[in-house]
Amino acid sequence: MADAHLVVDGVTKTYQAFTAVEDLSLTVPRGKLVALLGPSGCGKSTTLRMIAGLVPVSSGRIVVGDRDITGTPPHRRDIGLVFQSYALFPHLSVAQNIAFGLKTRGLGRAEIARKVEDAIRLVHLQGLAERYPKQLSGGQQQRVALARALVIEPSMLLLDEPLSNLDAKLRDQMRNEIRDIQQRLAITTVFVTHDQVEALAMCDLVAVMNQGRLEQVGTPLDVYERPATAFVAGFVGRTNRFEARGRGDNTVTLGQASLRLPRPVSGRIDIMIRPHRIRLHPLTQAPAADGQTNQARGTIRRITFVGDVIQADVQMCDAVLAVETATSQAGYPFSEGAEIVASWRVDDTLAFEAKP
Amino acid sequence: MTAAAPALARGNAEQRSPLALAALLLLPIAIVNAIGFLLPIINLLKLSFYQSSETGALVEIFTFNTWLRIATDTFYIQMLVRTTLISLLITLLTLLVSYPIAFFIYRSTGALRSIMVVLVISPLLTSAVVRTYGWVAILSEQGLVNNLLSFIGAGPYRLIFNATGIVIGLTEILMPYMILSLMAGFGRLDHRYEEASLSLGASPLRTFLTVTLPLTLPGIALGCLLCFVIAVSAFITPQLLGGGRVFLLATEIYHQAIVTLNWPVAAVLSMIVLIVFGAALALYARALQALE
Repeated sequence: MADAHLVVDGVTKTYQAFTAVEDLSLTVPRGKLVALLGPSGCGKSTTLRMIAGLVPVSSGRIVVGDRDITGTPPHRRDIGLVFQSYALFPHLSVAQNIAFGLKTRGLGRAEIARKVEDAIRLVHLQGLAERYPKQLSGGQQQRVALARALVIEPSMLLLDEPLSNLDAKLRDQMRNEIRDIQQRLAITTVFVTHDQVEALAMCDLVAVMNQGRLEQVGTPLDVYERPATAFVAGFVGRTNRFEARGRGDNTVTLGQASLRLPRPVSGRIDIMIRPHRIRLHPLTQAPAADGQTNQARGTIRRITFVGDVIQADVQMCDAVLAVETATSQAGYPFSEGAEIVASWRVDDTLAFEAKP
Repeated sequence: MTAAAPALARGNAEQRSPLALAALLLLPIAIVNAIGFLLPIINLLKLSFYQSSETGALVEIFTFNTWLRIATDTFYIQMLVRTTLISLLITLLTLLVSYPIAFFIYRSTGALRSIMVVLVISPLLTSAVVRTYGWVAILSEQGLVNNLLSFIGAGPYRLIFNATGIVIGLTEILMPYMILSLMAGFGRLDHRYEEASLSLGASPLRTFLTVTLPLTLPGIALGCLLCFVIAVSAFITPQLLGGGRVFLLATEIYHQAIVTLNWPVAAVLSMIVLIVFGAALALYARALQALE
């Protein structure tokens, strides 16, 4: 693992009685792309703005490399920033926007012109240098914002929901482009998003935030497959969620079904099962009980075909279990109203102690 | 409406109704303007070519005499230059003192903002006459300013019945107009632009000069146009604070029309004021175009 480049150390931000970010610690390795993922209002943008220096921290430290920048004003932080709304200067052309940061650094005209040209090529905006922001599409504005932030060769790049103003198709394209550029320049990047798909698809590490706190930091696979908290399991990917009560061993009773868990639990707990981890079987072909799987009987209430997967709602006692099956050429052997057995591995039965 | 009829017949179905509606809605104000604004100006123009007899009676013969006399009289040329320069100075000073206030109000929120806006507008609720007399009390030889200055052994300075008094008084009186215009023009300002500038390494001062100021230029242009026009045409404040010693276009028009009873001269001077307004408006239009 590369060395730490950005260290956010126990940072708290309070506004009078409201705590926006609470005791947040995060280490970003050099050259990596880290997502700050969470619902709106979770404090991820505030965290980004504290790293950029636009919002002062209430307590804690922010260190880049070996330099403590906690009290450094934003214009001396040497950090590139791309806003959700792009914030391109409306009175300046594309080239002037990109040249802005170079001019503040007092570079010569020839050097500025060369660097601006390089930056325009990097983000594929050739021929648009003399346009003004309002003459550009959302995607083009996004590229200008990116070029403007990158051309100053900052030590770090911060992206605040950079894709949320783009339509779905463009979003996928820009996602790949941003990732490409980030890897080509090997620039340490923090990426704020509320979109789990973006976070999982683009980033080396995902930091999930909720209510001003960090819930989990891990690789996309970690966060998805091994969520640390009930919130992470619920926020990243679809999930079934049931409440149960643990008795100190590794089984719980849910309605009439008895489920095995990977570890002993006690007190009130949340059980979570990913829809795509569940298999359906006809009653006659129920898998043998081997201690490695859980199973429960139910009735298919509704079947929804959504392209690459088929979703089924299975009624079990008073709960509904969402099940996803990959679409296959063989077709779907079940119909609405069918009695079935649902099964899933014990390891896929996630259990979280509820917070008091 | 009769003039609009052929156009209506030619217009296609989609265009017809909005056009007719627009014409109908514009008609009342068009009539009011024609009677209350256009006619008097035409009358004034006509008047400027008449002759005034020795006794002050109007002689209705067409002559360029008044125009020629004013155009060649250094007294009037100096007055035009003085009026323009003093008005420009007032406009500049008003801008300088109003900008920080407008900026502060624009950036504040909630109750503070409402209170500040009310405070800015409240002087407009008092007549300019009352406010001008207020300035007389403050600026006169025994006034507040000179009294305070005498404490530190300075003064007394002559702050009234000269151009200084007019500049001070009008600057204060024009501030609400400037502040409201600036705030109206701050629409393009988004603090994200300033944050972007800071993140690109520009110091707060550089950010203000290269981002904030250019983005607020439309408001500055509007406020300056408005204040310049009001300053040129202001009569009461220059009359009271100038004490009859500072000769400006507006006060001279009053003098010619009411005291000397030379209406053709008053008419010519009025037309010159109109020309100055036209020039200011043209300059404003050019400035806006350049900003686009």
